[in-house]
Amino acid sequence: MIRFFGLFGFVLSVGLAATALAQSAGTGSSPVKLQVTEATLDNGLRVLVQEDSRNPIVAVQILYRVGSRNELPGATGLAHFLEHLMFKGTPTRGRGEISRVIERSGGRENAFTTKDMTGYFTNIVADRLDLVLQIEADRMRNLLLDPAEIDSERKVVMEERRMRSDDDPDGAVYEAMSSLAFKASPYRWPIIGWMTDIERINATELRAFYDTYYRPNNAVVIVVGDVKATDVLARVRRYFGAIPRGATPPSVTAIEPTQIDERRLVLRRESAQLPVVNIAWHVPNHTSPDAPALELLSQLLSEGRASRLYRGLVYEKRMVLGAGGEYSYSSIDPSLFWFYATPLPGNTPEAVEQALLDEVERLKQEPVPAEELERARNQIEASFVWQQDSVFSRSSVLGRFEILGSWRLLEDYLPRLRAVTPADVQRVARTYFAVDRKNVSILLPVPAPAAAR
Amino acid sequence: MRLRAVILLLALLAVPASAAPPLAHREVLPNGAVLLVAERPAIPIVVVQISVPGGSVRDPDDALGLANLTADSITRGTTVRSGPELDRVIEFVGGSLEAGAGRDSATLFLSVLKKDLPLGLDLLTEVLLHPTFPAEEVTRKIAEIQAGLRRSEQNPGTVAGRALGPMIFPDHPYGRPSAGTIESVGKLTREQVVDFYRTHYRPDGAIIVAVGDITIPEIRSALMQRLSGWPRPAGTLPPIPKSSAPVTAETRAITRDLSQTTVLLGRPSIRQDDPDYFALSVATYVLGGGSASRLYTRVREERGLAYSVYAAVQPARYGSSCVVSLQTRNDSVAQAVQLVRDEMARMGRELVTAAELDSAKSYLIGSFPLRLDTSGKVARFVAAVEENGLGLDYPDRYKDRIGRVTVADVQRVAARYLDPASFDAVMVGK
Repeated sequence: MIRFFGLFGFVLSVGLAATALAQSAGTGSSPVKLQVTEATLDNGLRVLVQEDSRNPIVAVQILYRVGSRNELPGATGLAHFLEHLMFKGTPTRGRGEISRVIERSGGRENAFTTKDMTGYFTNIVADRLDLVLQIEADRMRNLLLDPAEIDSERKVVMEERRMRSDDDPDGAVYEAMSSLAFKASPYRWPIIGWMTDIERINATELRAFYDTYYRPNNAVVIVVGDVKATDVLARVRRYFGAIPRGATPPSVTAIEPTQIDERRLVLRRESAQLPVVNIAWHVPNHTSPDAPALELLSQLLSEGRASRLYRGLVYEKRMVLGAGGEYSYSSIDPSLFWFYATPLPGNTPEAVEQALLDEVERLKQEPVPAEELERARNQIEASFVWQQDSVFSRSSVLGRFEILGSWRLLEDYLPRLRAVTPADVQRVARTYFAVDRKNVSILLPVPAPAAAR
Repeated sequence: MRLRAVILLLALLAVPASAAPPLAHREVLPNGAVLLVAERPAIPIVVVQISVPGGSVRDPDDALGLANLTADSITRGTTVRSGPELDRVIEFVGGSLEAGAGRDSATLFLSVLKKDLPLGLDLLTEVLLHPTFPAEEVTRKIAEIQAGLRRSEQNPGTVAGRALGPMIFPDHPYGRPSAGTIESVGKLTREQVVDFYRTHYRPDGAIIVAVGDITIPEIRSALMQRLSGWPRPAGTLPPIPKSSAPVTAETRAITRDLSQTTVLLGRPSIRQDDPDYFALSVATYVLGGGSASRLYTRVREERGLAYSVYAAVQPARYGSSCVVSLQTRNDSVAQAVQLVRDEMARMGRELVTAAELDSAKSYLIGSFPLRLDTSGKVARFVAAVEENGLGLDYPDRYKDRIGRVTVADVQRVAARYLDPASFDAVMVGK
């Protein structure tokens, strides 16, 4: 419930930041303009608005700066569990009512939890913006958290875990690798949490977690679509302005110690059909000057059929069904550079591991050709233009960078990539991909008992 | 809330059909292909997709997977460039050129920035008109498709779907595996691929859709110039019969070492050309269409028996199916399936409430703009409308027909098409 309207004014930090952000790929012509109106309410709520009147719709997201990294061992999965309970009602909207109300207005809503944040989004005809803001303001502070609903939803979350992790060999090996590579960092446990924690977590803990993190000063509202920015700001103020600021949530103090050894594990699953080989190294995030080179490296290794790992391992060597190297530029804490490959029948995981390591060695020994680097850069710049076509994608990319500190980090993103040279790529490969400090996880299919006879 | 929803609905219905700008410009090119263009000038991107009647419904009985292999191999080399060269050229400008076969057709997809459109169209039409299907590349694709099929066996949903297909469509091409089987794909040859290409990648029956930062005259002339040499083979393709599968209601259990069982229920259903289709869309939505549906409420919200549970009608060009899906832990399968069957039966036994009807109709009509909010979505929608013969006024007709559905209509079609006794069932788990 919003009790008072209009008591707290805006600190209207800036009006428009018209930014010629992206040069189109290749030739550097036709800049893409990004106009963001931003504000911070007195209660600390951040608001970002982009006007886009091409379609009569609006994308609304509210992001909370809380994810699985804010949990503690013994109570993992709290952030994700709470995300489910955000649909279970407030005093004015009973269980399921939020979904029903949005549906009746032709909207689509959902939510997600990551290691770093929890987000709720609605795509809807633009004239229903009030309804969405009302709902989000309501459930920011008025969640029921009824114990009976918690117990019922607990079973749903357990089903979700069975589907994503326990019964999916890819999910299982992802979990195992995270726990192998991280020792102190909260990135070591899965976002959905361990099954035993999901079973145990109680209403008191959920309430405390909600009260700590679901506060206006820990949230960002992003609105992109067929709206007027000044009007949106007034509406956000109307619905959220009276919610009091909360205590600043505790910061995450865990720091992952430097890995000085090699770690390996093997997972055997009857449900797996083909092996999977993963090799991961600790790398810095966007705050490091090396981040743009790592980002481009991931792109040139993985994206498209001309990419290095596809060309080398899938096409020329015919060893694997697929391969790539993933990097999380925008994680809040430093994460992993993660190589993966799925051996084709007839190729051993050992041979595929060696082939991946050979590619890594080549990166260290030879500078990547300028054409390869340019292709990777052009692909990222083009995908940036494509993102602009969807109001939902626009809101997501703004949110991703705002969570890191400011959406303006997005302004730096492409210029930083443009400055990367082949020597930079070679340097980061040498710096971070030490052979004796890698994490290796192998998924092996095992025959079902009946078939083994 | 209910009153407001009704007002919204009436407001939407009051908009005359002529008020909406046409979905796309449509014309038939001299070579027989249909060209559809939607101008979306604000963002400098273009999507062009070309569909031909080369889907898996055209697979010969003794060559399952041929349509899929042909589409997968078509970008692997032309008379001008090798496959890797094509990849390098299109990816250098941040674009993509892909091909794939579905059940009804095969489609080439081009995505490029506006400034690279001439290059993109060159590559697209080169691949369409002058593919060489190098033997080595076809051999490679066969191994990749086989490995992909094997890997997909670890996905219980895929396993269940593959088992359900022939149960729903026992005597129709829709019942066959679209990508073939590991064995059938292993027997395919380059000669078969070339022959399939020559017969099916033809302008008569082709649908070309262009959406994005383009004008109609610009794209028409660019395409006609490049497609002038597209030969139209003699004769016509044999008609594909519409499926008229008998309702069998069998159950199949597939054992896997999993903690959860995937349940799929399915039966043949109806297409948009059936007057009952719109009432069935509403009925299916009330039953299992969203996170306010009866199945979601009973199975997930109230009992915590599943993370995912839904019902959907899936119309295609030559037939339609209705599917209900859920995953639940192995020891609650019986309880969850009973709940689902009870709810399906109740749809035909009792009238849905006015609130449920209004809600479903408001969603189906009101969410329409969300289905057309990017160039990619517009292109797919326009292509589907053309392929299924729905007419470019389909969005308006859809809204009109959904708007007129009554609670009595819902009960009548539910009794006929959602009767649980008429559904086949597949369970994958233990």
